[in-house]
Amino acid sequence: MRDITVTINGRPMSATVDPRLLLSDFIRQDAGLTGTHVGCEHGYCGSCTVHVDGASTRSCLTLAVQVAGRKVDTVESLAPDDETLHPIQQAFEDCHGLQCGFCTPGLLMSVAELANTNLVCDRAKIREHLAGNICRCTGYHQIIDAVEQALAEIREVQIDG
Amino acid sequence: MVESQARRFFGSRVSRIEDDRLLRGRGRYVADIELPRELAAKFVRSYEAHASVAEIELGDAVEAEGVHAVFTGADFADSEIRCVSSYEGFQVSAQPILALDRVRFAGEALAMVIADDEYLAEDAAEMVFADLAPLPVVLDLDAALASDAEVLHDGWTDNAYVRRAVKTDGFDKAAAGAPHRLTIDLRNARHGAIPMENRACVADYDRGSNRFTLHTTTQVPHLIRAGLALAMDVPESQIRVIAPDVGGGFGVKAQLYTEEVACCLAARELGRPIKWVEDRREHFVASHHSREHRHRVTGYFDDLGRILALEADIRVDMGAYSVFPWTATMDNGMAMGILPGPYKIREYSATGTPVCTNKTPYGAYRGVARPAACFSIERLIDQIARHRGLDRAEVRRRNLLGADDYPWHSPSGLVYDSGSLAESLESVLQLGEYDVLLTEQAEARAQGRLFGIGLVAFTEQTAHTHQEFKQRGVPIVFGYETAKVRLDASGTAVVSASIHDHGQGLETTLAQIAADRLGLDLDKVRVEYGDTNQVAYGAGTFASRSAVLAGGAVTRAADDVAATLKEVAAHELEAAVEDMVIERGRLSVRGSPVVSIDISELCRLTYQRPERLPEGIEPSLESSRTYDAAPGTGAYTNAAHLSTVEIDPMTGKTAVLTYAIVEDCGPMINPMIVEGQIFGGVAQGIGTALFEEFLYDENGQPQSLTFSDYLIPTSTDVPDFAVAHLETPSPFTIGGIKGMGEGGAIAPGAVIASAIEDALSHLGETVVTDLPLTPERVLTHIDQAIAQGEGQ
Ligand code: FES
Ligand code: FES
Repeated sequence: MRDITVTINGRPMSATVDPRLLLSDFIRQDAGLTGTHVGCEHGYCGSCTVHVDGASTRSCLTLAVQVAGRKVDTVESLAPDDETLHPIQQAFEDCHGLQCGFCTPGLLMSVAELANTNLVCDRAKIREHLAGNICRCTGYHQIIDAVEQALAEIREVQIDG
Repeated sequence: MVESQARRFFGSRVSRIEDDRLLRGRGRYVADIELPRELAAKFVRSYEAHASVAEIELGDAVEAEGVHAVFTGADFADSEIRCVSSYEGFQVSAQPILALDRVRFAGEALAMVIADDEYLAEDAAEMVFADLAPLPVVLDLDAALASDAEVLHDGWTDNAYVRRAVKTDGFDKAAAGAPHRLTIDLRNARHGAIPMENRACVADYDRGSNRFTLHTTTQVPHLIRAGLALAMDVPESQIRVIAPDVGGGFGVKAQLYTEEVACCLAARELGRPIKWVEDRREHFVASHHSREHRHRVTGYFDDLGRILALEADIRVDMGAYSVFPWTATMDNGMAMGILPGPYKIREYSATGTPVCTNKTPYGAYRGVARPAACFSIERLIDQIARHRGLDRAEVRRRNLLGADDYPWHSPSGLVYDSGSLAESLESVLQLGEYDVLLTEQAEARAQGRLFGIGLVAFTEQTAHTHQEFKQRGVPIVFGYETAKVRLDASGTAVVSASIHDHGQGLETTLAQIAADRLGLDLDKVRVEYGDTNQVAYGAGTFASRSAVLAGGAVTRAADDVAATLKEVAAHELEAAVEDMVIERGRLSVRGSPVVSIDISELCRLTYQRPERLPEGIEPSLESSRTYDAAPGTGAYTNAAHLSTVEIDPMTGKTAVLTYAIVEDCGPMINPMIVEGQIFGGVAQGIGTALFEEFLYDENGQPQSLTFSDYLIPTSTDVPDFAVAHLETPSPFTIGGIKGMGEGGAIAPGAVIASAIEDALSHLGETVVTDLPLTPERVLTHIDQAIAQGEGQ
């Protein structure tokens, strides 16, 4: 067993964990943040995507002990408050970018990374960026609509700001 | 009769009510549920496809850290899953909860380890050793029917679950008199729904009341309750099934599974909640497979390409056991019924054989048999076009049902209610710019590129109820759905339904219907589902039925409640009941809108001031109703799809460039949601067409165990879609609504096959008959086309 301290969604959290504990299980079970989903546990589907020190990371391929002393952000960190959604979340709602919602948290985190790195993307670029997040429900079209809307909105806010 | 009521939300693209919680990560899926004192289960599975079980050595597993119990077949031998078709001659299989003396597919559960957590359960499961003596494996469905094939169940005469045949009286004469005939053999690979959420369940047993509560990833909570009651021999009243948020189903979560029974039994045995979460490897072998059809189809036609008679032999590889509640005959029944498709075919002969093999049992997947049926008839139409030297669109025009052919009594006994086939075909040619595409194709060919156009028209049988399921021989005939509408004292409507929402947006669309009927704002309506304690009975969500059947039941129940509101309001306002108008949260007197009362005030009055109620009115604003969409053979949605592909001649890889859809599912409750359903279905169909296949080696070892050997379309494999709608109401259903959840997935196999064949047609002839069209298969077609072209 190892003692670790991790900053999850801005709050420090200490725990004693088995070295083999997956980050996905740590987030879901120890931290109780069940918004992060596990679809394959072999690094392929992207459902478990979270940010570690700001970079999108497969939490099913990461051990909890690997994030000791680092910052982990999950889907629960996106919305500023209970009344307002993050522009990416809002765009997914507006454009019907989700159906069952299982892939959604992972997708949102991948899109959030895109929004941090590259705000000017056409549909083909967006598709490329999201190729590691499988969605079985939507057929992607409305997800791409949502990402276009979100990026445009975030750009606008940055220009205005 | 359903009264007319102003439509404020019906038909509009309102955002989904469920999105807020799902986007915030506040959905509640089964794996998120944690019950006090729960233990984790892990299954030990067969590594052989067919073997007798010599011994299961538990070794150190029982003593291992954190282990509470290890169960094997004998522990649960009193239970089994047995689903018997009412078809004459059906051979019955019984699937044990944990294998007894014989295993019949790789992945069948042999033992169940219960431990403090998943990690420890997995450690102990690895200590269990099953001594299995291999038996001859039966993997190919045609080989399974050979006279010397190993018979897979005791007491069976061969490996056919049943043999079926239908034939119209005039078939022989029409076939004999036809000037032309063409026969093609078609194959669809075994693949499956593969939702992003694996299965999971948490079972709890209360020793005080002898009651089970099962939280499970299902589309059909009431049917799971019925199946558990049969499997465990327990009254239904002692079982509560809860399906909270479910991460996609598409059919694979519409069957009862042995793991659900095992978790219930283990929970009763140990007196603690048992949780099992499937992993993706398990999902590939233990969750039901689908789609493995082989058809031989013969078309008899005239010089103009009009089909005079159709003949089909349909074989489906149903795997090792008949599944609950569909039995092993579901796909055959559906394929035999719908194969003539949207065409004016009067004479028909079909035989069908569901076959037992050493593969994972076979369940539903979006479209159930309709993708294979569509593939067969559409491939046939394309071959007829080539035979007669006609354009593919023209042959379709000549055969499609016309507007005045409805209601159409199909040669297989279905009643098509209504449709707009010719119109949808013409619209998709416009939407997809067929003329422009033909020019583009000529240019592409001049540059040596392989560019093809695919075109398909089809009809989607939806919301079929008792007539259809009786005909299909299922032991429980699915007909109606139930909805309960209740207004609470503060004026909020709670709609409870027997259907389940796992992405279809029913939480929103049913609210749209209820809000209109009750004159409420959307935020004053809450829709709940997925708990057998909420409504008495119903079947659940499958077969494109929920909007029609639950929508109808909600309409009826809401109208009952509205009628009571009108009585109470009329009494309060001293006006006539017939003059009451219900809208925008108020009841008012027709013609004098100022004389009105708030619905919330009426609700409070009804429950809390019973002395003010009119005579004969009970203090209740609740109604529970069912709806079955008589006559029960379904409402028929129709659509046409047009797509273009480009093939890389070096690698054989096919890129889908464009995809246009025109769909007519009657009046749409929420077009945005309809489009999402179509797009999602088409993407799955692209998987069917190009990628998805469960492979086995010669010993029956599954070769598709991860997402790197089983490919699912990603965002770069699917193009942008163009979509347009027609809205022909069904004369059979409340509100004229037709179902549409499966349609998208039905056509793409046929569309893309057609496009690939077309892309190669200038090189020479090759007939595309097998899916998926992997690069390897496409390269073979390129070679065939070139060889045939050069030979001419
Ligand atoms: S669960 Fe981590 S990539 Fe699929
Ligand atoms: S919304 Fe269901 S998997 Fe993407």
